[in-house]
Amino acid sequence: MKSERLDMTQHRSYSALKVGALAVPTIAALVLTGCSAPASGSSPTGGAQEFTLSFATSNTIESPFQVLAEKYMASNPGVKITFNPQPNDSYDQTLRTQLQAGNASDVVVTSPGSGTGRSILPLVQAGFLEPLDAAAKELVPEGSEALFGTDGKVYGQAPEITVVGLVANETSAKAAGISDFPSDFASLEDQCKSLASSGKSFIALAGSAAPNTGLMAMSLAASRVYAEDPKWNEKRAAKETTFAGSDGWKASLEAVSKLNNAGCFQKGAAGAGFDAITKGLASGTSVAGFIPGPSWKQLKTAAADSEFNVRALPAEASSEGFVYASANYAFSINAASKNKDAAKAFLDWAAEPEQTKAFAEIDGALPVTGLDSYDFNGGAYKNVGDLIKNGKYGPLPNSQWPNSAVYDALATGVQGLITGQKTTDQVLQAMDTAWGQ
Amino acid sequence: MTATMQPKSEAAKAPLRGRRTPGAGEKPRPRSTGLQLGHWWWALPGIVLVIAIHYVATGIGGFFAFTNWTGIGSFKVVGWQNFEAIFKDPTKLGALTNTMFLAFGSVLLGNVGGLIIALGLNRMLKTRYILRTLFFMPVVLSPLATAYVWKYIFDFDGPINVFLTSIGAGDLAKPWLADPQWAIWTVLVVLVWGSTGFAMVIFMAGLASVPVEVEEAAAIDGANLWQRFRNVTLPAIRPAIAIATTLGIVQGLRVFDPIMALTNGGPAGATETLATQVYKQAFALGNFGGGAALALVLAAIILFFAVIQQRLTRSNPED
Repeated sequence: MKSERLDMTQHRSYSALKVGALAVPTIAALVLTGCSAPASGSSPTGGAQEFTLSFATSNTIESPFQVLAEKYMASNPGVKITFNPQPNDSYDQTLRTQLQAGNASDVVVTSPGSGTGRSILPLVQAGFLEPLDAAAKELVPEGSEALFGTDGKVYGQAPEITVVGLVANETSAKAAGISDFPSDFASLEDQCKSLASSGKSFIALAGSAAPNTGLMAMSLAASRVYAEDPKWNEKRAAKETTFAGSDGWKASLEAVSKLNNAGCFQKGAAGAGFDAITKGLASGTSVAGFIPGPSWKQLKTAAADSEFNVRALPAEASSEGFVYASANYAFSINAASKNKDAAKAFLDWAAEPEQTKAFAEIDGALPVTGLDSYDFNGGAYKNVGDLIKNGKYGPLPNSQWPNSAVYDALATGVQGLITGQKTTDQVLQAMDTAWGQ
Repeated sequence: MTATMQPKSEAAKAPLRGRRTPGAGEKPRPRSTGLQLGHWWWALPGIVLVIAIHYVATGIGGFFAFTNWTGIGSFKVVGWQNFEAIFKDPTKLGALTNTMFLAFGSVLLGNVGGLIIALGLNRMLKTRYILRTLFFMPVVLSPLATAYVWKYIFDFDGPINVFLTSIGAGDLAKPWLADPQWAIWTVLVVLVWGSTGFAMVIFMAGLASVPVEVEEAAAIDGANLWQRFRNVTLPAIRPAIAIATTLGIVQGLRVFDPIMALTNGGPAGATETLATQVYKQAFALGNFGGGAALALVLAAIILFFAVIQQRLTRSNPED
């Protein structure tokens, strides 16, 4: 009996242990879900407004999207915005995966057109984005309507106009003996040769980073292709022309080899990453880099004593100047969002002229509204003011290309041109093949 | 023989234990049912999870190899089109060649290096324990983290070029990872550095089973160092060689992270492998169907070598 009682006691205590072992995680799970439900969910009927915001980051500087959203929260105390910053190089993949899985943020940063993984048009086609209202429609830059949606609907709200060309360290240029910035391509080659002989380079190139080599090739194509024929992409889409059959594109890629042969790039450029551009421009060992205009502000934080300006790449003497200036980013609302009202209220607020001006100032870009009356004098964009006022600008070409493989073929091909692995014809044919994918 | 018979006899007795045979002389234990290994359906949750996570997910991925899915939205079944595209695209064929080169190159050099180190550290050296740890260290370290260290070493402004310049050989300095001829070799160096320690451990285990008496007998018979290695040591460690080489090939075929960190497949695709192409096609370029097709090709190649591994290990008479 004694032993039986002992057994029973042991059995009971064992059972109690088992129950406890099961109960603790179960209760914990219930408590956690119970606690987290009201915090994570929005309260459409309640007073508080909550939503989440995804954007890409590529450095430690606070994102302008986050700064703007924090400003919104400060002026609207009942609003809570949760930030979901993602590394820039994996942003497209993360965004697509989350949209496909239905757990993307309520507001996501996208790109106009169809040329990248975060581009609006394929996401609209897949039914992932919510149509936006009239406020967003009014911010669509003239001529870019087709990049922001289909069937007259708009799915992205442009926050700024980004100029893409050269960002130049004017202080180091003067220190290197460049009193006048080259006015045409031939004088650029001459300047490259003289700088190379003094151990410096005119251009800091991230040769191993496809986005940079691609941007260089597109900048070369600005005056060679799009200045003469701004509708070239539409003709390519209609199969009226091809990359391989375009003299302008051929000349653009041949210009890559010319720059390389003239010693325009820093030593070891083929294997360099983006850090080479930051280092080269901030330290003054290079004069300019093919980077988006707003980077001038970030470079200024690294080299406060230097003056950075945005410039168009010098064109051939016989060609017209042309620069890319367009909305390269957009706010979009996730179609599966449960906080659409809160998200739309934020976008309406962000569309106000005061906010668009503030966003441009935070990011160091041009405002999406009031460009006609914008005072270019004295600012970082003074050298591209005339081109923009004369209408000599257009959107980045790849935003109108049908998929990201075309840009990848261009960017990888330019790497091959610099290392001597590929010819211009091979690169252009690869771009045509990618277009048809 | 005993070793093989014993499990069979155990297995034959096992079902009898559970049976309640009245009059068998032995009273069944009251807790015998509790001591059983369990019922087959106890494993059901695990089996369902394995099937769902491994086989169903892989099967669905395999299905997408026959579609034009971009990773989002709708798709169409396109048959063998993605596979045709692979074998028509020079970049993908280049990736296939690079994959083979890196897999076999790293296995060859890694195993030769591993064998030499294992022989050196087998018995004689006093510091062999410290050296073994040092040589095995690359296997333990994160391939991604070490690849970034190597990237710095091979950088244009890195220590190799600084050294070359300091000894007056500045003309030889080059961007190693962006040089079309040298990039693949630099990747190979990193892979060999990472795989040598693994091969060394396998060979050391093999060498531990080589009887000292036989080696001594061969030495007394007049066999020199090479003859002792060729005729005594090498035959004894043949199973270790089979395992080290085949595991190394399978590992080498699916190499991904060091390449992404070192060259990202560049310059202009010179160091692309099937694994990096799978990632780029499926996730960076939105060609999920093409990426899935490439993944299937890679899986088929790995399976082919895995079967060879099975054959080689099975042919071992000691098994």
